[in-house]
Amino acid sequence: MTERHLRSTPTDGYATPTSHIQAATEQILRSHLPSASEANQGPVLQKNIHLQYLLRNLVQGFPERYTSQDASQPWLIFWTLQGFSVLGVGLDDQTKKRAIETLLALQHPEGGFGGGPGQAAHLLPTYAAVCALAIVGRPGEGGGWEVIDRQKMYKFFMSLKQQDGSFLVMHHGEVDMRGIYCLITVATMLNMLTPELLAGVPEFIASCQTYEGGFGNASFPGWVFEEDDPERDGSSTDSFNPSSPRPPLGEAHGGYTFCATATWVLLQPYLRLYYPSSAPAINRSALLRWLTQMQGIPAEIGGFRGRTNKLVDGCYSWWVGGCVVLAETLLGIGLGGDRRPEERGKGEEHAGEDGWDDVDDSLFDRRALQEYILYAGQHPAGGLRDKPPKPSDSYHTLYCLSGLSAAQHRVIPHDARRAEVLASWRGDIAKEKKCAGLAAPSGDGEILENLRREIFLDTLSWSEEEGTVKYVGGSGNRVNATHPLFNLTVTHSEAIMAYFYGQTLPVRKPHHAASTPPTGK
Amino acid sequence: MNPIAPIFYTEEYKDATDYFRGIVKSGETSSRVLELTEHIIRMNPAHYSAWQYRYKTLLALHSPLDEELRLMDALAIQFLKTYQVWHHRRLLLTALNSVPAAEAELAFIRRAVAVDTKNYYTPGRTDKELLEADVRNNSAWHHRFFVVFQSGVRKGDEDRELVLRRELAFTKEKIALAPNNPSAWNYLRGILEYTKTPFSTITTFVEPYASTSRSSTAEQEIVIDLENPYLRKEGGASTMKAVEIWRSLANVHDTVRKKYWEHRIKDALSSIQK
Ligand SMILES: [Zn+2]
Repeated sequence: MTERHLRSTPTDGYATPTSHIQAATEQILRSHLPSASEANQGPVLQKNIHLQYLLRNLVQGFPERYTSQDASQPWLIFWTLQGFSVLGVGLDDQTKKRAIETLLALQHPEGGFGGGPGQAAHLLPTYAAVCALAIVGRPGEGGGWEVIDRQKMYKFFMSLKQQDGSFLVMHHGEVDMRGIYCLITVATMLNMLTPELLAGVPEFIASCQTYEGGFGNASFPGWVFEEDDPERDGSSTDSFNPSSPRPPLGEAHGGYTFCATATWVLLQPYLRLYYPSSAPAINRSALLRWLTQMQGIPAEIGGFRGRTNKLVDGCYSWWVGGCVVLAETLLGIGLGGDRRPEERGKGEEHAGEDGWDDVDDSLFDRRALQEYILYAGQHPAGGLRDKPPKPSDSYHTLYCLSGLSAAQHRVIPHDARRAEVLASWRGDIAKEKKCAGLAAPSGDGEILENLRREIFLDTLSWSEEEGTVKYVGGSGNRVNATHPLFNLTVTHSEAIMAYFYGQTLPVRKPHHAASTPPTGK
Repeated sequence: MNPIAPIFYTEEYKDATDYFRGIVKSGETSSRVLELTEHIIRMNPAHYSAWQYRYKTLLALHSPLDEELRLMDALAIQFLKTYQVWHHRRLLLTALNSVPAAEAELAFIRRAVAVDTKNYYTPGRTDKELLEADVRNNSAWHHRFFVVFQSGVRKGDEDRELVLRRELAFTKEKIALAPNNPSAWNYLRGILEYTKTPFSTITTFVEPYASTSRSSTAEQEIVIDLENPYLRKEGGASTMKAVEIWRSLANVHDTVRKKYWEHRIKDALSSIQK
């Protein structure tokens, strides 16, 4: 890289604490860039040491300092299992069986999942447990899926519903954008959506978009996304005055923005069917601008930050980098229709080479993001991290790998796949398979049947766009594609949804197989 | 059962949480529960079930909640960054529903903030003070937007025209101080959009920053966003000017966002043709 490319973030001769820490970070990041001679070899994803790291966590467990995650046990399991999935490693049946048993022990007798055995039900662990079960579970006895108590879970969800359409994360808990994403995702995967559950959710989400274009958490403006972020400020502007209105908007933040945007995408069938006119809206172009604004300059190796003027951090590779395609989809950008057929396939040939042609429409710098993860995100002792010189942890290991996946693969809604799934759709079975006890006051009329079908089609039409893979450092660095809405592989997303909607999905034709094995090129 | 991915707790933690599970199962609410949950919370303030059960027990026992608030003071200082601590306080205050308690809480937060030497946004200091300390503090900019525009009209702020002029002047001054500050530019765009003020009204202020020749400061956020409908309606000339700036960003000054700026160019040009 030339000198000019590594120009530091300008301070305008006016240093402040923010610019000091920014400059110090850029200096450290710079030292992780390869020298001119090393650069020719390209970065290597150290798959083996990361697999060993994941395996150690899975088999041996976590050291005592992870006690702070005692209420997040399904997350530790999901991060680890999904890490294996992204790295393309399957688990043996015995490990899967143990994982299923461990997860089912977290199901609360009154519905939903808790963060540990005997802990209260909470939306965040409910999502993590269901996603982990999507990875290790299967239909039939002992497979885990049939003993998820959807009836009680639905009651639990409805008991958290607030007048403004939002949900508390648990009884006596607070409203949190992450909780809303977790709830809607689980209800989508498990065939539990009803108009009663969705009422007011679009309006609530729309109200959380800030003047910057990203989304905040509506309730605790200063609280950031992850558990142990040193930048985190846990206080609340309104905690001192219970009678004051909740601030309608928290600061735009990568984690909340992902959750709001993914939920917004999941809500599209509901918006189409239940708001024939004047549906609530978000500012999609402001969202896209904010997301792309979060990508760091070359001196930051192109990593993503989670808030304006904060430092880049590997986990936002997924929360923000992985969110760009969702915003593009909402704007109808680059869905493949306007590309000349002769351009397709070009990317494959050039994969791993220098100076590839950009044949895809992705609006962030996919190469730069891969470089950040590969050069700065990998810890030499295994696992991935926020940034050097931090240690790796379970959370950053997954979200760096998922971000790498989002930068390698372009997974978008695919009309041809949608048509295939539609041709095989059995509405009568889906209706029968819906969560029993959802005899909602609104009845189960045609519109709800349509909602169920549209949700299924919208969600499962996502496929990798042909000829757009990009592997910085060569195809040896390939990781699996992951579903942009769920962060599960497309295979796992399809399997669990096919089960809960009672559908048999048509086999994917090779041109949109989203999780084909590495070619070993 | 042989669980996967276990955590190696200390014996003390394990004993306390085993005991807690037993209590949850039996539904016991007693002063013993208060001791136990405090013990667990001190070891792991993120144990949301302990907080939840503690709150239910306080209500069941009709415990004096102001006493609980004072007990929480030490915990809040110790775990300033743990939101559960603050959420618990909030629940207590809501249940107390008393003005003196709310006032005491405000005083407490001021003290809590004083021990927090880092550059966080915290409720005790005004956004103006925070921006004077660090003009790049995005949380402070965000909070300012909330206070000025989204939390009702403050006394003295009834003349909204005046408020807008004041905010524009404030922001321009901060931009002049450190032009490469996306927080300030986002705020500027935010107030223009919120008040439906045409972007063209600040063209003379923006132009020197948006010039393509000033490569030294042509950081991506410097350029004022020309996508706004007001400017575009003024005709092709301003769009072409925007395109020229975007091209220089895409190809020279902000190559990481090359694809994004190219998308903007394509979008702007196709809207002229329409
Ligand atoms: Zn992080």
